[in-house]
Amino acid sequence: MPTRRFFLHQTGLGLAGLLAGPWALESCRSTTAPIPIKGQLRGANQAVGHLLRGGTAFPAPTHEQHLDVLIIGGGIAGLSARRWLHRQGLSNTLLVELDEQTGGNSSHGQNAVSAYPWGAHYLPVPDPRNTELIDFLREVGTITGLADQGQPIYNEYHLCHDPQERLLIDGHWQEGLVPERGVPASDRAQLARFFALIDTLKQATGQDGRDAFAIPLDRSSADPTFRALDTISFADYLDQHGYTSPYLRWYLSYACRDDYGATPETVSAWAGLHYFAARKGKGRTQTGGLVAASDVLTWPQGNGFLLDHLRQSVDSPPEQPNLLTHHLAHAIQPHEHGVRVLCYNVAAKRTIAIQAKAVLLATPQVVTKSLLRPLAPDRAAFADQVHSAPWLVANLTVNSLPQGGGMPLCWDNVGYNTASVGYITANHQDVSDQPKRVITLYWPLTDAPPHEARQRAYRLTYADWVHRVLTELEALHPGVTPSVEQIDVQVWGHGMVAPTPGFVWGEARQQAMRSIGNQLFFAHSDLSGISLFEEAFYQGIRAAREIIQALHPSTHPV
Amino acid sequence: MVSEEQPRSARGNASRPDLLPVLLLVSVFVIATCGLIYELIAGTLASYLLGDSVTQFSTIIGTYLFAMGIGSWLSKYLDGALLKWFIRIEILVGLVGGWSAPLLFVLFEYVQSFRVVLYALVGLTGILVGLEIPLLMRILEGRYAFKDLVSRVFTFDYIGALLASLIFPLVLVPQLGLVRTSLFFGLLNLAVAAVVLYRFQDTRPYRRSFTLTMIVASMLMLAGFLGADRIMTYTESLAFQDKVIYSKTTQYQRIVLTRNAREWRLFLNGNLQFSSADEYRYHEALIHPAMQQNPAARRVLVLGGGDGLAVRELLKYPQLDAIRLVDLDPGMTQLFQQNEMLLALNQRSLLAPKVQVLNTDAFLFVRQDTSRYDLIVVDFPDPANYSIGKLYSTAFYSELDKLLSANGVVVVQSTSPYVARRSFWCIAHTLEAVGFQTMPYHAYVPSFGEWGYVLASRNRPLTSVHRAVRLPTGLRYINARTLADLTHFPTDMAELPTDINRLNNQALVRYFDDDWGPYSH
Ligand SMILES: Cc1cc2nc3c(=O)[nH]c(=O)nc-3n(C[C@H](O)[C@H](O)[C@H](O)COP(=O)(O)OP(=O)(O)OC[C@H]3O[C@@H](n4cnc5c(N)ncnc54)[C@H](O)[C@@H]3O)c2cc1C
Repeated sequence: MPTRRFFLHQTGLGLAGLLAGPWALESCRSTTAPIPIKGQLRGANQAVGHLLRGGTAFPAPTHEQHLDVLIIGGGIAGLSARRWLHRQGLSNTLLVELDEQTGGNSSHGQNAVSAYPWGAHYLPVPDPRNTELIDFLREVGTITGLADQGQPIYNEYHLCHDPQERLLIDGHWQEGLVPERGVPASDRAQLARFFALIDTLKQATGQDGRDAFAIPLDRSSADPTFRALDTISFADYLDQHGYTSPYLRWYLSYACRDDYGATPETVSAWAGLHYFAARKGKGRTQTGGLVAASDVLTWPQGNGFLLDHLRQSVDSPPEQPNLLTHHLAHAIQPHEHGVRVLCYNVAAKRTIAIQAKAVLLATPQVVTKSLLRPLAPDRAAFADQVHSAPWLVANLTVNSLPQGGGMPLCWDNVGYNTASVGYITANHQDVSDQPKRVITLYWPLTDAPPHEARQRAYRLTYADWVHRVLTELEALHPGVTPSVEQIDVQVWGHGMVAPTPGFVWGEARQQAMRSIGNQLFFAHSDLSGISLFEEAFYQGIRAAREIIQALHPSTHPV
Repeated sequence: MVSEEQPRSARGNASRPDLLPVLLLVSVFVIATCGLIYELIAGTLASYLLGDSVTQFSTIIGTYLFAMGIGSWLSKYLDGALLKWFIRIEILVGLVGGWSAPLLFVLFEYVQSFRVVLYALVGLTGILVGLEIPLLMRILEGRYAFKDLVSRVFTFDYIGALLASLIFPLVLVPQLGLVRTSLFFGLLNLAVAAVVLYRFQDTRPYRRSFTLTMIVASMLMLAGFLGADRIMTYTESLAFQDKVIYSKTTQYQRIVLTRNAREWRLFLNGNLQFSSADEYRYHEALIHPAMQQNPAARRVLVLGGGDGLAVRELLKYPQLDAIRLVDLDPGMTQLFQQNEMLLALNQRSLLAPKVQVLNTDAFLFVRQDTSRYDLIVVDFPDPANYSIGKLYSTAFYSELDKLLSANGVVVVQSTSPYVARRSFWCIAHTLEAVGFQTMPYHAYVPSFGEWGYVLASRNRPLTSVHRAVRLPTGLRYINARTLADLTHFPTDMAELPTDINRLNNQALVRYFDDDWGPYSH
């Protein structure tokens, strides 16, 4: 028998509320002034980046500096290379970053409620064979040791706390992102068939003995059976194999948009499958629990946590800093004894000239292209092939979130068939109980070709975005608007590279990674074709190894 | 409403002789609907409030029909101006029937013998409704042949009944709820009275005298209808069985204190925290077994427990030097430091010089604290949501481990091993997973039922049998014998395998939800 309390709620209050609802809302609207929402549209670095488009008259350099290695770009790739060079004893380096802080796509912010990411927010538990990454995670305290069979032991605070994911479908929050609620049996069968395929691909190895799908992706098998998947689009592949269920297709489209900022029509089948089949993480928790491939590592500031550690892994003495922010590299002049690079100090409005034996361009292709155009027009042509997807990221401070039916607030909260890919709760990893939240909404702008979507995004004002963001959030939480205290918005015009067919295994990408004259080196997640922390981290190490080889040919690469 | 001063033409129209019977027959239809609705409301309400719907419905219907019989029989004693009687009765039916649902809801909490009130109200409504049809038939007597009269009146009567029985479950309850439905039909009865009163010439002489009654009655119904929300909120506040003597919404929770002749009860967010009648059992069982393990204890940390009742028990050990209490909610600790009645209950424990009260998040506190404690008392709310679940995780217990002195002991309130058996053992196993030796035990607290605790210690095997038991004097529940009994688990609460509760699986909250699910409706 329902208790009396329950009954009152069900038949009385609930219905009375329903009836009174419209009036109550109406009266609220008219009597209480709307809560002013604070916030701004970020994008200073964009404006600085656009100085490279040509036509800018930079002042002449005021002084010269000589060193071994200059790293341009303080994203994950640049900082990873810097860490590696210093570990190998190459410490006469300088890193320049145009923004006021390092970070790039892994930047983060902070307000009174929580730290929050501006871009990258998580790292899936890595494959234990990715030893460089495992070592780094040990340095930062995410891995606390190795268990008997060499399995990494994970810090329980860094593993994403339960509950991890929920999906709003049919007006109800279900646990997990794979649609279940109201999904007919035939669609379920297709979902099951797809995941069985993934299980096989996870185990699959090529004739060369390598894993079919690996991270870093350069360690994947060269077997033509798998490489062939790179020649068609993921959507075509799914059609050919009878994966037609709208639920499955939504889920895969969500996955591609979430990781690549592009749809299954745009990315290759190889990349679409890689998203799932390359996840091979495992380990233990400190108290002996199992850590599986589906576990992810996350922090309130997202991958900003890893970024800060990468930066701090190299000391930058204040009297002679080896890391300069607010510095835009705008001209590269190779000569016989090295390379001269002009860097414009955006804050002080002066230029310095750096003479380096080697220069690492840890910059996105859109920048690399401008810097190389006079030197290597062929490289610039490659850059034009890069499908670079625009993103919108909004951080909202909310004093509460109206709870719909079903699963309560999770770390990742996604709506079925919505324009954005949902939001994550930045302070989900907080162990204290806070009613206020910072939520980070992710929105790949895939409704038009990248160029068009980017131009359109740049034109929108803060007020336009607030309107769009709130509309999107209202679809997930009707009535949430009055609870929103702050909205900050960032447009990532060139958010991430999309692995279009032929990109990952085409010759052009290999060519783009190769150094020019053993003086100019390249590292960036764009060069992997998939934009992941692991790839950026790996690209940095790969380039650092090449630099060490170039400067000290006698040493054995480590 | 049409008043006396309305244009004459309107009344002139209405008083055309052939209109009277038609209007009266429409009234039959309306009052038949109303009559059945009241019956259904009473039946539904009784089965909601008292349970056992078959019994409730059949006794209510029986009473109602019988009362209608009485009404019909009584009708012969009404003589004189029949229309006037009819109007009176309609107003009364409207008031009594219409207000029956709200009245019953409110009275349910107050009256000792609710059934008496319920049947009295049903009886009264029945009698009044029983009067309606015979009266109407007598009014219509001269206007139809007897066979036509009977046939028409009863046709409308039964059609009305059919309509009522269909719209009640399909439209009214889901759309309006019981209270509004009841009041709405009361208004319809009043409307019938009004039509008869203002549309018929015969009523002219006494119209005036009725006007005030009509206005007051309609206002009453309208007020009830519009205020239905408030009535429901009010009756909900009565869902706490006793009188609410204090209530406050703090930043973190809603604190409600109730009392009756026997006891006070404290509710946090509607969940019972303790009853003054038997909290001593809960708190003695929380503190004294732990203190037996570590008689040399000097420094104690209490997490949660802002009511100061656990601290009261601790203060019975003069050897303790320092007790630090960490409770998130200053609203809670202040209440127990200021309210005279509560100070009597916790014996001013939170004001004792040895006691330090900190209002901060317990998890953040234990991560930052670097002191050492001989005893840590963990008295959190049950793991009913994912935020609280974190306070029962391996990560949390590892932090406690770092704060324990060499011989330190932890005691954790661990929900009911009877109702939430898997949750209870999950807490014990989670403590074991971080390397503690544990001693699970339980006590019977009448307000809660069987309640569980887990003692844990890093370095010493724990036992409930002591060679020399050193208990403070004046305990009402714990003695040497009960101490030994606490660790015995009957078969229905015995250990069973569970997952370990970690931040990344929150196994405990999931168990707890399943275990308590069937109990929370
Ligand atoms: C919205 C969004 C969400 C993401 N989420 C995730 C995620 O959850 N997990 C994940 O693994 N990955 C995620 N990524 C991918 C992310 O791109 C990578 O993880 C990683 O941060 C890429 O690092 P990078 O060094 O390759 O590139 P970038 O971050 O692009 O770094 C390049 C740096 O170079 C600087 N720069 C450019 N030009 C110049 C110049 N001329 N002079 C000086 N400095 C210059 C830039 O300011 C920038 O700091 C996300 C990306 C986006 C856009």
